Amino acid sequence: MIMDFIGELLKLTVLAGLTVAGILVILIWKKNLATRVTYLRFLIQVAAMVSVFYLFTYPVWQFIVLIVILLLPLVLGRFFCGWLCPFGLYMDAITLIRKGFKVRYRNLPDKLNKFLHKFRYVLLLFFLVVPFILNVIDPPPAESLTLMALVLAGPFDAWRILLGPVIPLIVPWKGPLEISKIYFSYPYVQEVIYYSKLLSIEVFTTIMAWVFVALTIVGSFFLRRVWCRFCPTGSSIAIVNRFRGFKWAPLLHIYKDEVKCTKCGICKRVCPVQVTDVYEQAGGKITTSMCMLCMRCVEMCPYEDCLKVNFGGKTVFKSRNWLEPAKVE
Amino acid sequence: MKNPSEEKKYMLDISQKEIEELRTTIRATSKKMTAEYIERMRKADKNRPEAMRYFDEIADFEKREKELLAAKESGKKVIGYMCLFAPIELILAADAIPVRVNSGWYDASKLGDRVVPVEVCPMVRSTIGAKMIGLSPYLELSDALISGLTCDGMTKLSEILSDYKPVWAMAVPRLKDSTQSLSFWREEMKTLMKQIEALTGNKITRSKLKSAIELTQRATKAFRRLQEIRKGNPVIMGRDAMLVNQAYMWDDIKRWTEKTEALCEALEERARQKSWACSPDTPRVMVTGTPMIWPDNWKVPSIIEEANPQGLLVADELCSSERLLYDPVGVDEWTMDDMLNAIAERYLMASTCPCFTSEDGNKDRVNWILNKVKEWKVNGVIYYVVRGCMLYAMEYMRVKKVLDRMSVPVYYLDTEYTREDVGPLKTRVEAFLEMLTARVDI
Ligand code: SF4
Ligand code: SF4
Ligand code: SF4
Repeated sequence: MIMDFIGELLKLTVLAGLTVAGILVILIWKKNLATRVTYLRFLIQVAAMVSVFYLFTYPVWQFIVLIVILLLPLVLGRFFCGWLCPFGLYMDAITLIRKGFKVRYRNLPDKLNKFLHKFRYVLLLFFLVVPFILNVIDPPPAESLTLMALVLAGPFDAWRILLGPVIPLIVPWKGPLEISKIYFSYPYVQEVIYYSKLLSIEVFTTIMAWVFVALTIVGSFFLRRVWCRFCPTGSSIAIVNRFRGFKWAPLLHIYKDEVKCTKCGICKRVCPVQVTDVYEQAGGKITTSMCMLCMRCVEMCPYEDCLKVNFGGKTVFKSRNWLEPAKVE
Repeated sequence: MKNPSEEKKYMLDISQKEIEELRTTIRATSKKMTAEYIERMRKADKNRPEAMRYFDEIADFEKREKELLAAKESGKKVIGYMCLFAPIELILAADAIPVRVNSGWYDASKLGDRVVPVEVCPMVRSTIGAKMIGLSPYLELSDALISGLTCDGMTKLSEILSDYKPVWAMAVPRLKDSTQSLSFWREEMKTLMKQIEALTGNKITRSKLKSAIELTQRATKAFRRLQEIRKGNPVIMGRDAMLVNQAYMWDDIKRWTEKTEALCEALEERARQKSWACSPDTPRVMVTGTPMIWPDNWKVPSIIEEANPQGLLVADELCSSERLLYDPVGVDEWTMDDMLNAIAERYLMASTCPCFTSEDGNKDRVNWILNKVKEWKVNGVIYYVVRGCMLYAMEYMRVKKVLDRMSVPVYYLDTEYTREDVGPLKTRVEAFLEMLTARVDI
C-alpha cells in the first residue's frame, strides 16, 4: 500500500513537471499576454483532469478531493470551477468545437440565470438531505457500499454526488460503460443511475444515463458552461462573497478600477456563465458568487489596468490594451 | 431605397448664381484659413516630425475629394455619417467608404440661419449651409447618410438633409444600460446593415466583416498608441494630434493607420532624444464638450496653444477627436452574430455622448474625464460649448462638481461659429492659463 502510494506520488510529480513545462512553452510561444490565459487555463484543466484520474485510484483521495473542493471557495472563490473542474473542461472543449463550426451561442435570460444560481443551493440541500431519508426508508445492503464508503459509510456515501463534475471520462474503477477492459464514465452518470435505480427499472436507468449525457453535450453546445448554472458542487460559499464582514476572505478576486471602465460591456458578453456583476458593480472588489474566476473578462477588457485579478493583495493578472503594438503578432 | 422626393421639405430655393458665388468665396476663405492654421501649427513646434506632413496634406479636402471621385467612378459607394453612432465596420465590410460630413465652416452657419433659427447649434446650421451651396466635398459625394438621432439638432438635421439624399436614421436609446436598449439597438444595426447592402449591392459576409473589424482594430491600436505618447512630456502639440485624430474621419483608414504608426514611431524616437515640443512645464489642458470640426472651427485649440502663457492640449473628450477611436470592437467569437453584437455594444455602450442618461446620470462621461485627468496629468479642463448646444451646456455643472472635488480647475468657454470673438476668447483663455501656470509652479 505504502509503495503504491509513493508510486502514485511519483506519477503526480511527473505530471506536475509536465504541466510546468507546458506553461513555460505557452509563455514563450504566446508573448502576447492577452491570449495567454485561455491557453494556460486549458492546459491546467487537462492536467487537473489527469491528476484526478490518478487520485481516484485511491478511495481516500476521493474524500480529500471533496473536502478541498468544498473548502477552496473560502480562500480562492470558485477558482476550482474556472481552472480545474474536468466537467468544465469538457464543456469548454465543446465550446471550442462549436467555435470551429462558427455556430453562435445562446444566452439564458439574465433573470433565469440568476434564479438558477440561487436555485443551486436548494439542489445542494436536497442532495445532502435525501440520502438520509432514503437510508431510513430503505437501508442499503452492505455489499452495495462502494469504495468511498470505506471513509464515509451509509448515507454519507450518496454525498459523492458532489464529486459528480470531477469524474474523468475514463475511470479507474468499475464504471458504467466497459469497452475492452477500459471503464468509461461521465460526470454524474453514476448518480443518475443511482437515483433512477430507486425507481428500479433497469432499462429506464440506462436511458436516463444516456439522456443526461446527451442533454449536457447538446446543452453546452449552445449554452456555454451549461451545467455550471445548475451545479451544486459549484455553489460557492455565498457568505464570503456577499456579506460585508467576510469580504476579506476570498484571497483571489477580481478588482475593477471605476474610472477606467467605459462600460463597454465586453466583460458581460464574453463571460461564459453570464456574470453581469463585473459590468454592473461600480468599482473596487467585485463581489459575486457566480463568477468562477476564469479570467476571460479580464483578458478581454480592452483598457489597461481596468480589471485586475488580485491574489492576497498582489495583482497576478490584469486587463491590458490588447490592441497595443504587440512585439509578436 | 426610396429616392428623396422632388419637393423639398425644408430647403429653400437659391439661385444657381448665388450658390456659385457663395461657394467660391467661402471655399477661398476656408482654403486661406486652413493654410494659415497649418502654417501656424508648423511654426509652433520647431522640431515638428516630418511624419506630420502627410496629415497637413490630407487636411486639404481637395486631395481626398479627388480620391473619392476616382473611387466612385470605379463603382464604389461613399457613405457619410454625422455621428459616432454610425458603425464604420459595416460600411467598410460592404466595400463602401465612410466619411464624416459634419461641417466646421463658420461662414456656412450664416446660411443655415435662413432655414433654421439662429438658436440652433451652429454645427447643425453650418452643415445645412454647407449643403445649400455644396460646400463640403464629403457631403456632396456621399451616396447616403447615416444619422444618429442623438440631440435635437442632429435629429432635425437628418430630416432636413433628407431633402437631398437618402438618410438612414438610427434611433439612439437614451438609456443605454438596459437590455431593452441593447436589443433595440441591435435591431437598428441589422436594419442599417440591410440598407447598406442594398445601396452598395455587396453582401456583408462573415469574412468581410471580420477583416473590417480587424482594420478598425488596427486603427484603434495606432490611435491609442498616439494618445499614450501624449501622456508623457510633450513631443507633439495638441493641435497636431487633434488633426491626426480628425483625419480619420475622412481619410482612407488603412493608409491613416500606417501614417499614424509612422508618426508614433517618430514621436517615440523624439521622446528618447528628449526634444520636447514645448517646455515640459507648460500647463496640461484637456478640452471637453461640443465637437470641433476641421477646417474652420480650429480657433479654440489654436488659442490655447498660442496663448501667453501657453497651454498644451494633452487630452480631450470630443467626439471629433479622441472619442472617435478610443474603444475597440471586442469580438469574443468570430461568428456573424457575435461580431454584430460587439459592434452594437461598442457604438452604444462605450459611448459617452451627453444624449445619454442613467440612474446615475451620464456617469460614463464623468469617469472618462476623470480617467483622462488622472492618467494624462491634466492641470485644467476647458469646457467648450457652442451656443445652442444644450446637452453639453447642461452637463457642465455635473462635470464641474466632480472636478472641483478633485480641485482640478475647469473653465466654461462658450462661443459661436464666428471669427469675431477670437480676441475676447484669447483674453479669457489666457487668464485661465495664467492661473494654471501659477498652480503648476507651486
Ligand atoms: S459549476 Fe460544477 S461543473 Fe461547473 S466548473 Fe464548477 S464544479 Fe464544475
Ligand atoms: S470590459 Fe472593462 S471597460 Fe468594458 S465594461 Fe467591462 S470592466 Fe468596463
Ligand atoms: S466574470 Fe469574468 S472571471 Fe468571472 S466567470 Fe465571468 S468571465 Fe470568468
